[in-house]
This record gives sequence, structure tokens and C-alpha cells, in this order.
Amino acid sequence: MSAWRSAVVVGLVAGIVGCREQITTAGRCPSLCPRTNIELADTLLAMADSADTSVRGFVLTREASFLLLSTLDSLKGRALIRFSALDTIWFPATAETAYVGGIDSVRIALQVEQRDTAVKQLKLLVYRLPASFDTGATYASIQPWFADSTLLDTVPIGDSVVEGDTIGVRIATGLLIPPGDSDVLSLGLAIAAASPTALTVGSGNLSTSAPVLEYFVHARTPLDTVTKETSVEPIVSLFVMSPPPAQPPPGVLAIGGIPSARATLRLSLPKVVVDSESIVRATLLFNITGAAGGFARDSFYLLAEPVVRDYGVKSVLWPDSTVSGKVLIHQGQTGPVELDLAPILRFWGTTTGDSTPRLVVVRAYPEGSILGAVNFDSRSAGATGPALRVTYVKPYTFGVP
Amino acid sequence: MRPLPAVLAAAFAVAGATGARAQDSVFGIRGLGFLDRSVSGKSSALGGGFVLFDPAAAVNPASLAGWHSTAGWAVAAGSDRSFDTGAGTASLSATRFPVVGFAGNLGAKLVLAITASDYLDRNWSVQQTDTVSPRGTPVVANDNTQSAGGVTDLRVAMAYRLPGLTLGVGLHALTGSTSTSVNRQFPDDSSYIPFSNQQTTAYSGVGVSFGALASPIKNLLAAASVRFNGRMKASTGDTAALVPLPVEVNGGLLFQPLTGVSFSGTVGYAGWSSAANALAASGQVRSRNVWSAGAGVEAQVWRVGRGVVPLRLGYRWRQLPFPIPTDSTGTTASILTEHAVTFGLGFDTAGGHATVDLGLESGSRTAGALSEGFTTLYFGLTIRP
Repeated sequence: MSAWRSAVVVGLVAGIVGCREQITTAGRCPSLCPRTNIELADTLLAMADSADTSVRGFVLTREASFLLLSTLDSLKGRALIRFSALDTIWFPATAETAYVGGIDSVRIALQVEQRDTAVKQLKLLVYRLPASFDTGATYASIQPWFADSTLLDTVPIGDSVVEGDTIGVRIATGLLIPPGDSDVLSLGLAIAAASPTALTVGSGNLSTSAPVLEYFVHARTPLDTVTKETSVEPIVSLFVMSPPPAQPPPGVLAIGGIPSARATLRLSLPKVVVDSESIVRATLLFNITGAAGGFARDSFYLLAEPVVRDYGVKSVLWPDSTVSGKVLIHQGQTGPVELDLAPILRFWGTTTGDSTPRLVVVRAYPEGSILGAVNFDSRSAGATGPALRVTYVKPYTFGVP
Repeated sequence: MRPLPAVLAAAFAVAGATGARAQDSVFGIRGLGFLDRSVSGKSSALGGGFVLFDPAAAVNPASLAGWHSTAGWAVAAGSDRSFDTGAGTASLSATRFPVVGFAGNLGAKLVLAITASDYLDRNWSVQQTDTVSPRGTPVVANDNTQSAGGVTDLRVAMAYRLPGLTLGVGLHALTGSTSTSVNRQFPDDSSYIPFSNQQTTAYSGVGVSFGALASPIKNLLAAASVRFNGRMKASTGDTAALVPLPVEVNGGLLFQPLTGVSFSGTVGYAGWSSAANALAASGQVRSRNVWSAGAGVEAQVWRVGRGVVPLRLGYRWRQLPFPIPTDSTGTTASILTEHAVTFGLGFDTAGGHATVDLGLESGSRTAGALSEGFTTLYFGLTIRP
């Protein structure tokens, strides 16, 4: 074959077999439309055959990412922090060992999480606590520790201090840590203001906003001119409240708060609803009892997740964030709430999710990081109890042939 | 090759590259799909009038006698279509491979061949937009329904040469599948999750064809073929349907009044009403019996070097068996017809061991007020080692 012809043939083949495929066109109904149309159906499933409950105590105050300080009439709170031990030895130079001879001062750094700027003359009160306080302490049991005799300092918090700012408290007076305390310092925090208010600061459970205690020390003789600045973080940080949150009463589904509460719903669903292919929207309907709690103008999410293994309150949740639904709740919100449940119902229709229990856990998000809480009517409330609204595609028939 | 044939060939390539629609159609959404034509590059250029005499076409098994040596062939077809959607014109395109085959001679009289050709094309895709209110609030829904696949006709055939007569027989196996999917998106409301579903349908069936070629008088060749099809089984795994396929009868003449000039014509009939009940049972419009006709002329008047480049011209018309409904219940429907004018040429290359045939079709399909225009370029390559 000549080069000419080869080139032409190759060009022809490329021209034709350079496969182009554009076959999509707008349907002209009824002549050129599919035999079957997609039809949607919408149904409201009462939860009469289902079960619901809620339990408090999943994230405890010593596990929360914040410390609550409050003087509100409805909720009082104080924080307790035990810092890790101060290193009593350091090496200022090669072959030179220095021992702590005395603490010149300490500085506490706290990061503000939430505050009500409408309340003026806010002050932070720092108390010296027993080094090894009881982590099971209650609001009542700690009152003796918050006496004038243990007050280390009172620090005004300016009105310009807002969320994310750091409060620095330098205690100028020298601190002595008795030998029996093993170089451990514990502090108590409280607030005072012109009117009742609340303040949250970062706890030791979140490293980015944890309290930091900075020591300014000098060495023992003969190196008593050598000084050092060192910092430690909490090994325990918690807060106590009055009144302490109780277990939700019957007829109420409580979610959120600290210790956090979760609601568990066991759903009894028709098979068509669990068809993973057909659900386009599924909404869990709640009715808020009272109003959503929390800081003024605060908001948080309600997050619904499926249960992989049912161990009661210790049930294992499915860890995939795409198999969940959430809705934003604002402090003070009342009325009905719609929580998207379609990803979970679709998950139950898959091979993986088919064998999992039809259990949904609803919790606050971020759990343990907010004070927000909400109560809903439970199934026992009847018409105002939870209901599931499902929009699905009726069985689609392709037809044969 | 001289410059002029090369330019013509290049023109064909450009035509094929810039737009052609051939083996499929928007009308393939109806019935069993779009009925394909297993024609070669040469037959396509002659309006299908030569198809009963064409050894590369998979219609008449007796035509295999045209192979006097071992041969392999393949045809590709690029097609561009334009369809008035009512809201504008859609430009569509596709590339298909109507027929491939291989043939060999056993002795001086017997020719054996195997071919694979398109039988039914079920490639289509439809986009629709609607507003639905499942919860009382209107929401936009975009639906896309599409089908990919089709049915292929596998044939084992032979032709036997007798004095003044050639007979042929072919055994056909229909096989293939389609994947049909539906998808609904809610582009303006993220609280709704897209819906999708898919179904695969497998097809199988058998048939047998007989053909004959005879020369009753000088310069005239007559051909006839008949094909008996069994029932095609369509199954989805849990559902199956049997569709009786038609008896197809074709007759044609090839007249050569002068050396280098020939006229060919073919008329065909297919009893597709056999499938009507099965289609009606699945909610489709009943199929109907259809006719087809094509004619062409070939003139070997153009000499290029030591060879001859035949120029071909033709026209074809056919009815398609699956009417297009004009109401939502399918009680009224329009007959779908197709016609095209054709043109083409062919040339040998590789020292006569290979032949390239080009065919260009331009035509339209019409069903009532609906019309689809198409341009198709066929490229056929035959190798004779």
C-alpha cells in the first residue's frame, strides 16, 4: 500500500471510528418518552409501633470541652482544675543542674468560649483548691473551697473580651506548694458580675483551648539567680452545677446538655420504606417541649446516626458521617423540628446496613462542646410524639421486553 | 491512488466526522428498538438495492458465493442526526459497526462464512424536567432515562454454487443485552436525595435463512431470501417475555445492460405484526408488518491508473415496525418511515488484497409531526489475503 493510500485509509478510519456518542435528547411526550414515569409518594408514619427513650450521661462534665462558670438563678456552675506537676529540676547549662527554689508568680491563661457581653462588670475569681480534690465533687461539696481565705485573685474581664480571646491571670504573690501536694497545683474558678450570667472557658479536654498554668520560678542556692518559665496543662478539669441535670422524665426525649443526653428511637418500618433505591426524602418530625436551652443566641445541631450494634446505652454508632442526618437548633426555639433521616433509611437498604438494627440515636453536635439542650415529646405523647415522613418513588417498572 | 480519489475519500471522512447519524435513532425508544440494517459500504451506497447480491451483507446467504477467496470484512458507520425536540433542535451522533464477517471457500462450490451484525439498536437517552410537589412545595425534578445496548445477529452461513444457480442457508443466533437506567435529580433542593434505578435485560433467539441467486436471462441476476425467526426471549432475571420475531422475505434484481454499468433493486417484507401481542402485553404500541425498497446504480466509468473506481448512487425507503404513539395511552400512533438518498465509491488497495467501500446516506425518518434527519457515513474494509 502506498503512503498516500495508507494515510487516506487511516484518516478515514479515524474520521469514522473516532467514536462520537451523543444520544441524549429532550423527551417529546408522549411519543418519545419512557414508558414509565417516575412517581413520588409521600406518607406520614406514626411511631405507634416504635419505641423511644432517652438517657443522660454520655459526655460528663469532666469530659466536656468547656468549663461552665455560672451565677444564673436557674443554673450555677464552678470549675475545678488540677494541673500536672511542676518540674522541679532543669538544666540551665551543660553539667549544671538547677532545682526549684521558689515560685515567684504564676499566670493562668484561659480561652473564652462563650459569654454574654450584655452583662457588665464580669470578674473571674481564682481559688486555691486542695491538690487532690475529688472528681466526683458536687456543687454543694465544693462550697468550703470557694471561701475568701482561698481566693488567690479576682480578675476583671473587660467588655471587649469575646469568644476566642485569652484571659491572662497573673498572681503576683508567691505560691507555696506543700511537699504533700507532690508539686501539683489545683485551682477553682468562679465568676461574679453585676447581674447573673454565665461564662464558658476551654477545658483540658481540648488541647487548642485548654487552660495553661505558667510558672515563673528561681533556682535553689547556689544558682538562686537562675530563673525559669515553665508551663503545665490540666490533668483534670471539670465543672459542677446546681441543680445537676437529672435523667429525663417519662414522656420526654432529652437531647444535649452536659452531662449529655441522647434519644434512641427504634423504628418499625414497612419494607418499602427501607428500600434503599426508592427513598428521596425521609424526615423525622419532633415537637419541642418548652424551648431549646443553652446560651443566649447559641445554636447547635441535632445529629441522627444509625446503630451498628445494640448494646443499650452503650450501643455502637455507625461512624460514617454520610450516613446521618442533622438539623440546626437555636436557643429558644420552639415548635416542630424536621430531622433528615433519608441517608439512614437508605443505609438500611444496603447489603451492609440490612443486618443492622433499626435504631437511630439522636444527639447534640458537637456533643460535649455546647450547653444547648432540647426536649421533645416522646411517643407516649400521642399526636405530638415523633413521626416519620417519607417521600419515595413508587416501584419503577422498566418493562420487558 | 491519484489525487482526485484521495480528495473524494477525504471528503467522505470530513462528512463522517462532522456529523452523521446512522444506525440508531431517537425512535429507538419505542418497541424493541431501532431496526438495524446489516449492509456493507457498497450496499449502503447503492441504497440497499444491492444487498441481496452483496456477499458482505448478512441478508442473503446465497450471496456468499461472491467470495472467491478467503475474505474478512468490517463496516463502521458514523452517524449524525438532528431532531426537533419542540424546544429546539438536538444534535446527536453515534458510531456503530453494522457488520463484520469472515468467509472461506471449501473447494470450488462451497463457501462458508460467519458474520456478526446489528439487529436491534437500543441506545437512547431522554432528559426531562418537571416540577413536582410531593410535600406541597414545588420542587424541580430532572429525569434522565437511558438505554445502552442492543441485539446482535450472529450468523453461520454457507452458499453452494450450482450451474446457473446458487443456494445458501444461514443459521442465526440473536444475542445481546441492554442496560436501562433511570435517574432523578432535584437540582434546586438538597433535602431531596437523587433517585436511580437500573435494569439489565438479556436477549436471545434463533433463526434460519435461505437464499438463492439465479440468472434467468443474460445480464440479469435475480435473488431471493427468506428468514424464519423464532421467538426472542427477553429476560431480566426475575421476569421474562417471549417475542415472536417476523418472517422476512426479500427479492431483488441486478441488471447489467452495459459493461461497467449495473442497476440493482431490492424489495423486502417483514411480518413484524407477529410481535404485536407481546408488545401490547407490555404496554407498548402494537408492531406492524413493514415493507422496504431500495435501488441503486453503479458505473465503473472512472479509471484511476490501472484500476477502476466505481461511482454509486441510490435511494432507499422503508417502513419501521414500531409505530410512535401520539397519545399517552398509545391508542393512536403514527407510522414511522425512513428514506434516504445515497452515494458512494470504492477502490482497491494493497495490490488488490484490500477494498475500501464508502457510502454516504442522507435522509430522514418521519412519524406524524416528528421528524429526524440523518447523515451516515459507511466505511467498509474488505481484506483478501
